[in-house]
Amino acid sequence: MCQKIAETLSVAGYCTIGLTVPTGLFRDKVTSLRQVFLDNGLEVVLRVDLGSRSRDELLRSLRRFRPSYDVIAVKCLSEHVARVACRDRRVDLVFFDLENPRIRFNHALANLIRGSIEVNLVSAILHSLKRSVYGAISKTFLIAQEHNVKVVLSSGSDKPEEIRSPIQIAALATTLGLLQRTAHDAVASTPMSIVAENGERHSRDYIEEGVRVVLSRAR
Amino acid sequence: MSRLPRRYLLVRIVSEQAVSEEQFSDAFMSAVRMNFGEIGFARIDPKLVRFDAGRLLAVVACKASTVSELEAAVALISGYSGVAAATLVLRVSGTIKGLRARLAKQRRS
Repeated sequence: MCQKIAETLSVAGYCTIGLTVPTGLFRDKVTSLRQVFLDNGLEVVLRVDLGSRSRDELLRSLRRFRPSYDVIAVKCLSEHVARVACRDRRVDLVFFDLENPRIRFNHALANLIRGSIEVNLVSAILHSLKRSVYGAISKTFLIAQEHNVKVVLSSGSDKPEEIRSPIQIAALATTLGLLQRTAHDAVASTPMSIVAENGERHSRDYIEEGVRVVLSRAR
Repeated sequence: MSRLPRRYLLVRIVSEQAVSEEQFSDAFMSAVRMNFGEIGFARIDPKLVRFDAGRLLAVVACKASTVSELEAAVALISGYSGVAAATLVLRVSGTIKGLRARLAKQRRS
């Protein structure tokens, strides 16, 4: 399955992928998974999806997993967790269950958000039989554009049949109300800038946000 | 009378099973019709230009101003005759010759 996914992603024209791995997975298993994608010419960025139910659980998970993953995404299961996730600078992406009408991305969260909002476009549309998903996605795009929140688009696929090319994902978002330029950024430059920023955070010269060592150690 | 500019899309089907031209054409046309309606269908004016059943490649065309709509419609094809498959848009060009050049380049690499 993994090999097939890697081949399809390569055909679709991707160069870097965000691989979501379970938090308890052994390191050698992660290495072998990464190798499958590398063999198909794909760069791999490790990401974890945190689905915490309370503020304390989320903060504990962030403390524990932030250093070992390239990208941290939080699935917002409640309004309270969503507020904490949006405010915390360790969180790169927040995403919502588009079929759940109780918790949606709103103006209050858009004012708080420090990272980006992620929309798993293809899986949401293909899995859902409800047409209200289209409305939820359009509204998310509208709010994000109004508050200048960065948007990341992904297929959210775990099967080769659900993979779509970046051109198609951007087109789907454009059709649902995202500006064409924002849609292109959402599949290309925005995710890459998150990866680059986190790469810098993991470097030895990084002290904290805005502070880093500029003189070489030899001097 | 001058012709309206068109765009040609190179489409690749990723499927475990063989897909015939008829199956692709049915799924393609109904995806456009289902998602954009009859008026949208007329506006997009989709056409299946070529189909290669061996390599599972197709060239489809639409009006230049509606490329995004056609790309989105192709993304929403979930399978052929009940079998799940991915349908990927690999390239958009203003001429079929441009798509052919891209295919030749892909084959060389």
